Amino acid sequence: MNEKRIQCPKHLDQESGRGLVEQIRSEGVAPRQTLVLDFSETEDMDTRGGAWLIELANYVKAQNADFDLAGPKGHVAEFLGLLRPSLVSMPETPPERPGVFEQAGEATLNTIGEFKEFYHFLVDTIYWTVLAPFEGRGFRWGSFLDELHEMGVRALKITFLMNFLLGMIVAMLSAAQLQLFGASIYVADLVMVAFARELAAVMTAVVVSARTGAAIAAELATMKVQEELDALRGMGLHAAQFLVAPKVLALVIALPLLTGLGMLAGIGGGAVWGLVVLEFRPDIWFNQTLNAAMFSDIFQGFFKAFVFAIVIVLIGCHNGLRVTGGARGVGLMTTRAVVMDIFFIVFIDMIFAAFFYYIL
Amino acid sequence: MAKKLKEQKNANGPVIRVRNLVAKYGDVTVLDNVTFDVPRNEIYVILGASGCGKTTLLKHLTGLIPATNGTIEISGQNITGMDEEQLAGMQRNIGIAFQNSGLFNSMTVGDNVALPLREYGNMEPRLVNAVVRLKLSLVGLANAEYKLPSELSGGMRKRAGLARAIALDPPIVFFDEPSAGLDPIMASGLDDLILNLKHLLGISLIIVTHELDSIRKIADRILMLDQGRVIFTGTVREAEQSEHDRVRQFFERRPDEHITQRNI
Ligand SMILES: Nc1ncnc2c1ncn2[C@@H]1O[C@H](COP(=O)(O)OP(=O)(O)OP(=O)(O)O)[C@@H](O)[C@H]1O
Ligand SMILES: [Mg+2]
Repeated sequence: MNEKRIQCPKHLDQESGRGLVEQIRSEGVAPRQTLVLDFSETEDMDTRGGAWLIELANYVKAQNADFDLAGPKGHVAEFLGLLRPSLVSMPETPPERPGVFEQAGEATLNTIGEFKEFYHFLVDTIYWTVLAPFEGRGFRWGSFLDELHEMGVRALKITFLMNFLLGMIVAMLSAAQLQLFGASIYVADLVMVAFARELAAVMTAVVVSARTGAAIAAELATMKVQEELDALRGMGLHAAQFLVAPKVLALVIALPLLTGLGMLAGIGGGAVWGLVVLEFRPDIWFNQTLNAAMFSDIFQGFFKAFVFAIVIVLIGCHNGLRVTGGARGVGLMTTRAVVMDIFFIVFIDMIFAAFFYYIL
Repeated sequence: MAKKLKEQKNANGPVIRVRNLVAKYGDVTVLDNVTFDVPRNEIYVILGASGCGKTTLLKHLTGLIPATNGTIEISGQNITGMDEEQLAGMQRNIGIAFQNSGLFNSMTVGDNVALPLREYGNMEPRLVNAVVRLKLSLVGLANAEYKLPSELSGGMRKRAGLARAIALDPPIVFFDEPSAGLDPIMASGLDDLILNLKHLLGISLIIVTHELDSIRKIADRILMLDQGRVIFTGTVREAEQSEHDRVRQFFERRPDEHITQRNI
């Protein structure tokens, strides 16, 4: 048997431990040699000394050699007993990162999995929002009203402000062009049509997705992380009934109303520009605006708002429910929800635009 | 143990001195005129009914919440008048294991333990890794280094929190409810671990717990709170012979006539 015996220092601490490791490293150990550390003289050790021992054990095992401890007494023996798991086994290596193909494959599976989850979630939500109340299975009107207040009433100011400013911007931009043809009065038409069909719905939906969409995702994600959702399920209650349905209904009502306010605010912003800067008489300006107002345009705006409301709640809830891990997961899912919201708002708006352009 | 450390720990005097501590949340007084000493290298157990202010006391002792009134001395330094920076300096010399573990969920268990070492330890990286493995072995989690906290059981998380608390070899460690929610075998294993920390590392431990078995096994001295006041300090033996009604009630496991609505 090929053995190499080393005497351990009397006090094994940070300094003497480092010395020991450096001595053995410089002398080297041969493969299949057994390095025996003799503790018979060692009176005490601390955690730093212990850490150097672990470092030493790793080194020895990396050289394909063996490692053994001889003759520890009392305190030191107890300490080494606790360290044994780290001394006898090689350190675990960190789990390997998957390669490109595995990652691509996993991403595909994840996407499929996410669609499945979304499908189930959608079915539950439709049931608990639309059907269950008619079957008398309870709809939580109290939390619906709370949500309506939070999502609707408390968003009034910001919605008004954003649309009002956007209305002024549109008026400014179009006035600069139309003035060239002496057609400034058509600014009124343009603002009216733009806000009825597009801008109020999109602007309001973006504001609401940043406010409410993010809040929904963060709330559900935090609840999931803290096992509150499990607690609900454990009481035989459904997240879809308890949390999602009131939110869906609240936003489906709140967002179109906010969009209506947005239309008025945008038109108001345009009017301020028209009356103050372009110096039109109020009756002329408002007549022009009313003439441009078409029921179909306004309807289109409200209908979009209705669709956006559903999209924002579903995306918020879906992402919130998918969270894993802790605080970081909550942040990631909230971000993801808002990004998805804005993407889908613009994408759906484009589909609507194409539909009305080609079909109607 | 290294000589230097031993000398430092043999310095006389209590590690913690609390005088007339008053703690309030808003207008509600949670701790009222609390006074006690924690001797060096002992296991000091704080106990009392749920909601009586144990966690609040621990958060004051560790400088996480400023005291409304009174003084707290940690290793001879009064922490009540300290600014942020001085407090941070003091906190480097204590370890805290929280009631809900307080592990960072986005990091592996190993990285959680390594965090204070990397931030404060000015230690070479290979030694950081070795220290992490050592602390995890000490708490019996040698195989969990690369796991995420969310992949651990409640008891394992508690132990991982403890491993992080002792990462910097602090002379004082605070531990909030180590055995709450653990099975008896796991809880008794944790008691052994706590005793080892005291014997092998010479740490003074301040522990909040309700578990009678565990108190009998590990406590050198106990402090009992009731409705924010200290109703008993002394050894377990003294507590068991105490004349005080609520102390007796606790050690004889007599329930209240009805659950009292205290402190709400
Ligand atoms: N952040 C806070 N704000 C207001 N009151 C609080 C706060 N934290 C705790 N309290 C109140 O202070 C009292 C003491 O709480 P504390 O958490 O210290 O109790 P505890 O003894 O640790 O209880 P447990 O054994 O249940 O953990 C309780 O009445 C609680 O309601
Ligand atoms: Mg507590």
